[in-house]
Amino acid sequence: MKRIALIVLVAIASAAGVEVQGGDPHAYTQLWSMREAARRPWHGNHYYLPYGQPTALVVPPTAHMRQTYSWGVSQNLMYPIHHQYGRNASSPGALPHGSFQATPHWPSHTDQFGVYYVRGPW
Amino acid sequence: MRILPFVLATGVASLALWAQPLSAGGFHAMGERIVSSQVISDTAIDGGVETGGTSTGGTFVGDLGGIAGCLPRTYGYPDLFYNYYTQGNCNSTNAQMYIAPVPVPPNVGHTFYTYQPFMPHEMLYWHKDRFHNYYDGGRGMNHTKVHYYAPPVRQAASNVYWNYLRIPR
Repeated sequence: MKRIALIVLVAIASAAGVEVQGGDPHAYTQLWSMREAARRPWHGNHYYLPYGQPTALVVPPTAHMRQTYSWGVSQNLMYPIHHQYGRNASSPGALPHGSFQATPHWPSHTDQFGVYYVRGPW
Repeated sequence: MRILPFVLATGVASLALWAQPLSAGGFHAMGERIVSSQVISDTAIDGGVETGGTSTGGTFVGDLGGIAGCLPRTYGYPDLFYNYYTQGNCNSTNAQMYIAPVPVPPNVGHTFYTYQPFMPHEMLYWHKDRFHNYYDGGRGMNHTKVHYYAPPVRQAASNVYWNYLRIPR
């Protein structure tokens, strides 16, 4: 009897688990991303050559990680994508040209191309 | 990953028996969002929605707005389009999501997405969304549920082609 009750409990729990997304019912990772996004810029300090500004590349809001590549051993790093578009209009807007660095003639890192991921809104 | 969008929108206008107060953020976390009729655009609109005074934009001649004891005929002032912006306190510059990737000069001209379920960022991933609009003082509710769906077999075949078979060039 106790075993049957346990099976029923597990079945209910697993059925309820289907409802939530990604096993994160209280959206802890969402909160974590919001906090981290408030503490760091969405962009690096390079501009994207065709536009003269750091350019955001919209990725699905379900995207988690980004990969960067650079020269040498152990320079291929993975970071969480913290930033997400929101409805609040934000300042400052675009900075004057020259506020960011150009892509070097010999790029050594993928962040130097000036395109940075930002997750789309939910 | 490309998702072929199959948008199924069902619009149901029904009485809101359980009208809830609108959330401050304009949408809920679990895929339910409120499409408010208030102007939330950052551009000034002539004859706006300020209430009270003689120059109320909500009442015009003929809609009984000025007669005491009569409810005026009201209608929403939906924003034509609202943009999304990068958030946070540490940005040196901010990016708006539309027009992607950069805005064009005004004389170039562009188009708006006036129907929120068709906005392209909704097509990025497989999910469901509900759009609610409460009106008539909470007595009416318009409800639109959208399924953003990619057929799995066709999606798998597409992924095989784009990730393995396609010649990179």
